[in-house]
Parts: sequence; C-alpha cells; structure tokens
Amino acid sequence: MTTEDRAGVIHDIGYRPYRGPRVSRWGIITGLLRHGALSTFGFGRSGKAKVLPFALLVMALVPAIVFVGIISFLGLDSELLNYAGYQQVTSLFVIMFVAAQAPVLFTRDLRSGVISLYLARPLGPATFALVRWASLVAAILAFVVTPLVIMFVGGLAAGTDVGEELPRWLVAMGGAVLLAVLLATVGAVVSSLTTRRGLAIGGSIVVLLFGLGVTAVLQEVGNEQGQETAATWLGLLSPFVLVDAVQHGLGEATTSFEAPPDDAATAAGMLLVALTAAAVGLLLLVRRYRGKGSR
Amino acid sequence: MGVIQTEALTKRYGSSSGVAALDGLTIDVDAGVTGLVGANGAGKSTLIKILLGLLSPTSGDARVLGHDIRTEGEAIRTAVGYMPEHDCLPPDMRAIDFVVHMGQVSGLPAAAARERAADVLRHVGLAEERYRLMGGYSTGMKQRAKLAQALVHDPALIMLDEPTNGLDPAARDDMLALVRRIGHDFGIPVLVTSHLLGELERISDHVVVLDSGHLLRSEATQSFLGDTGVVLVEVIGDAAPDGTPAQARMGEALAARGVSCRARGALIEIDPDRRDGIPEEQAAAVHDALRDLVRDTAADLGLGLVRVQPQTGRLEDVFREEAAR
Ligand SMILES: Nc1ncnc2c1ncn2[C@@H]1O[C@H](COP(=O)(O)OP(=O)(O)OP(=O)(O)O)[C@@H](O)[C@H]1O
Ligand SMILES: [Mg+2]
Repeated sequence: MTTEDRAGVIHDIGYRPYRGPRVSRWGIITGLLRHGALSTFGFGRSGKAKVLPFALLVMALVPAIVFVGIISFLGLDSELLNYAGYQQVTSLFVIMFVAAQAPVLFTRDLRSGVISLYLARPLGPATFALVRWASLVAAILAFVVTPLVIMFVGGLAAGTDVGEELPRWLVAMGGAVLLAVLLATVGAVVSSLTTRRGLAIGGSIVVLLFGLGVTAVLQEVGNEQGQETAATWLGLLSPFVLVDAVQHGLGEATTSFEAPPDDAATAAGMLLVALTAAAVGLLLLVRRYRGKGSR
Repeated sequence: MGVIQTEALTKRYGSSSGVAALDGLTIDVDAGVTGLVGANGAGKSTLIKILLGLLSPTSGDARVLGHDIRTEGEAIRTAVGYMPEHDCLPPDMRAIDFVVHMGQVSGLPAAAARERAADVLRHVGLAEERYRLMGGYSTGMKQRAKLAQALVHDPALIMLDEPTNGLDPAARDDMLALVRRIGHDFGIPVLVTSHLLGELERISDHVVVLDSGHLLRSEATQSFLGDTGVVLVEVIGDAAPDGTPAQARMGEALAARGVSCRARGALIEIDPDRRDGIPEEQAAAVHDALRDLVRDTAADLGLGLVRVQPQTGRLEDVFREEAAR
C-alpha cells in the first residue's frame, strides 16, 4: 500500500491512531475504583439498576432524619444521637445493600465473562481484585456514613455542642470504616464464588443476617451460662457485633449488644483477629482471580 | 522487529504428564493479518492466552512486540487488544459506556476514551445502536461490540479469537472484511483464529496451521493460493454398456486426446500445461483451447458438463494433505 492510499484511507474511513498521552497505572486504578463504586449505586448501568440501592439508602436514612427532626422541633437532648449504635438500628438495610450490590462488582463480572477482558488489561488479576474490593468498601462506606453525617450536621444546626458531639461522632466514623471493610470482604468473597446472582445475594444474607442473629442469641446464652469471655469473643461471628465491641472497648461508646468486652486489650485483640480474617479473605479473593486469567 | 515470536512453546494443563495443548510451537508473526487455523482443541486460544501473559507456558519462550511474556505481561497487555471467543459483555450496559470504560481501563484519559469509543463503534458498524443496552444485541452486534473494545485504545497488535463464531454467512463476510481492514487500512497487525480454513485464506497475508498443539504449516497465504494451473472437470451422464461410469469414460477419452489427467473423487483433475515459455498473453488462449477440448470430448461421449474450473490452492487441501501424512 502506498502512502497516498494510506492518506486517502485516513480521510475517507477516518481511522485515527491515538498519539496522545496515556494514564499511569495509578490513574487506571483510581478510574476503575470510581467506576466500580458508582456502578454499585447503578450509575453507568440501566435505570432500573439505580432503584434498589437508592431505595435502601433512603430507608437507612429515615431514622437519622427522624432523630434530627425530634431534636430540632421537640428540643430533646442530644443523647438521642447515638452515632455508634446507628448501624445496628439500620442493619437490615445495610445487609441488604451489601448482599444485593456486592454481586454487581463480582458475580456480574464472572457471569457476563467481562472478567476475561479486565484481566487482559494492564492491571492484572491481583490488582484488579483488590480494586474491586476497594470499590465495594467505598460504596458501603458512603452508605453507612451518610446517615452519620446527617445526624451530626443536623444536630449542630439544632444547637448541639460540637465539643460534646465530635468525639462520639469520630468513634462512630471509625466504626463505620471498620464495618465497611469487614462487610465488603464478606460480600466480595461470597459473591466471587458463584456466577448466579440469586445465590450470591442469598449467601451474603445468610452469612450476615443469620450471623448477626445467631451471635446475639449465643451471647445471651453464654452470659446466662456464666461464660462471659466466650460470649464476648463470639462477637467475631458478626461484623456488626464486632464493630460494636471495638467501639465500646476502644472508644467507650455505648454498646447495643449483650457481651461487650470489658477492657481495651480484649477489644484490640478482637480487632486484630477480625482484620487478620479479612486479610485471609482478600488473599482467597486474589487467588481466585489469579486462576480466572487462564479461563 | 517481528510482532510475535515463539520458541518451542509448550503448554500442558494440569499434571505435567497430560497431553500438551501446545507442543514445541515455534512461529514468527509479522505485520498484516495472520490467520491461526486449527480444529477445536488445536490450541489456538491457549496460544493467545499465553501471549497475553494470562497463562504461563510449561516451557519455551515467546516475545510479543519485543516484550517477554513471562516478565513483561503488563507491557504486553497495555499494547495489545484482545477479543475473546466467548461472551464478555455486561448486558446491563450501553455499548458506548462500556467501550469508554474499557478504554479507560486500558490507559486512555477520560476525554480521549469517549472520543475514541464513538469512533471505534462507528468503524465496527454500531454507530446507531451504541446507546442501547448490550443485553438486547444480536450475536452479530455483540461480536462487533467485542471487537470495538479490543480496538478502543489503539493497540499495536490485536488478537481476535474466533471473531466469526456464531455469525450467519452475511455477517461472517462483514466481520472478515472488517478484520482485513484493521490489518491493512488501520495498519494494526492482526492475529485472528478460526477453525474454518476457508475463511482465513481470504483475508490473511500469512497462515499458521495448528493441529493438536503442533505446527502443521506456517506460510504466506500466496503460496497456498497461487494458481496451480490444475483444471478440475466434473461430468454427469450414463455409464457405458460395459459398466464404466461417466467419469471414467471422460477420463479415458481425454487421455486418448493426449491430455494428462486423473480421477480425483468425483472430479477429473487435468494437469497443468508444463510447456515453458508460454507468454502471458497466450496463457488465456491455451486455457480456452483446453476448455474447448473438454467440451468437445464431453459432447462426443454424450455427457453433460457440470463444471470446468481452474483450481486455486485451498487451505483445506493443504490441511488434508499434511494431516494425512
Ligand atoms: N483450562 C483448561 N484446563 C485443562 N485443559 C484445557 C484448558 N483449556 C484448554 N484445555 C485443553 O487444551 C487443548 C487446547 O484448547 P484450546 O482452547 O486452546 O483450543 P482451541 O484451538 O482454542 O479450540 P476451540 O476451537 O474449541 O476454541 C484442548 O484439548 C482443551 O481441552
Ligand atoms: Mg478457542
């Protein structure tokens, strides 16, 4: 083919090679992270995909708005603003959000086969899996932090004292981060095991909701039997109970469960065990994605 | 620099005692369109995955665009476009959003990704349909969308695994024409696989034939397709009273008139006129004379002439001959 032909082609058919700058590895990671977190809320997907996450978010916000309303209009005291205990109040919605939306980032990739495109892109399987997980952490964090922000800002507007509220609020914010990390790990591991969305949702609900219920019951039984220490450590079975224990033991927040740790050391120990478990979960996730490349 | 070089590339899945999906494969791929042909299970997809650094070979080496597959997978995946053989499109996304996203994941800045995605979707023929959810696409449209995502980042090499899979004949021709354009007009080297030998001979500059992981043949398409000078004849009609079938009667009659020929299946193969020094302009006349001779012979015998056609080399034949050895 002559140069003239080539030039003619460029004018007629218009294939233009790309000569511009390319994004660094880190740029690709942040882009993928943002895209993943947004698609968890249905952005960039069909209109239908936005209904469930936003419906759940609204429901999870109702108590916060009600609390702020009560304080503003009835002038009740700010004890009502139990930041640290908030996720327990809305745990059903949080669990449903994780169960329904984690498959968007994991099951959906496996089911549609798009995973083989991602793995053939620069990032590679380990980084891709971790970025997917981080997207889920970010999405869950947005979900659990929004009501805390509404309560805090709304409370201040209604005349609560910053100095009094801020430390309690920060403890709850720390708890929210821990909760997001743990829930995302459970959601990621469960929903990367199957290509069936229903199975992934069901599996996450079983693990998280039943985990919460069973832990609460077992702790009560343990206390009755005089096994307080065992009851406390059983908190590891549910991210919600564990976060409550850590907030109580390390941040002196009021607890919502039966067997909170008595001392900071126990709480720190539980935190360490939970983070180790999460790390193991992530390792499994990465291994699974490494294997996927060969399909 | 060649586009792809492999050196004794071997891959065994599972235990090392198993059958090799690739067995000591040494090939060299240059610019243009390279067809990778082989039956199901020949190892085509395995080779592509190894070249992308997604699978590691059991032994042997390979370089893609100068990068070592074992140590420079990321550099390879940055520069290469890949279209897998199976489904890989999220049904709840619009083609435009999806291709933009894949462009960004491949390292394009957001604005460039948007511009190129629209461009590339137009090139593959999805300009109108790009705002529709891909779940509602036909197989042909899905294949085009898959091709678009492989092109969006302007790769320096594109590997297409069975792009014509599942397409009807018309869509198959469109796809093949598109693949050819990518290799020739867009100037992007293409490695394209198919288990249909016939379709790659039309669009490839070079064909690599794989058989159960072995290299059967690797040659420029021209050497397969050059006019062989052989003419094929097919007749229809009654057998002679002594039971000689029509084809044999025709063969004997041709031989009696000094034409060198033999039976080949249901056809008669006439050897090329080997007289040297026939000028270019006379070649057609020689061919016409042969055609007349064949027609007269058939008429004398009272046989119907189904076809008289020059044979061009076909990859099917190459494959059959080699495999029969
Ligand atoms: N993940 C795997 N594990 C074990 N064996 C595999 C795996 N993938 C492929 N094989 C085997 O390796 C051989 C080559 O397979 P490959 O998919 O590369 O062939 P192919 O030429 O792409 O075939 P097709 O035309 O069916 O796509 C086959 O015998 C196949 O069964
Ligand atoms: Mg294949």
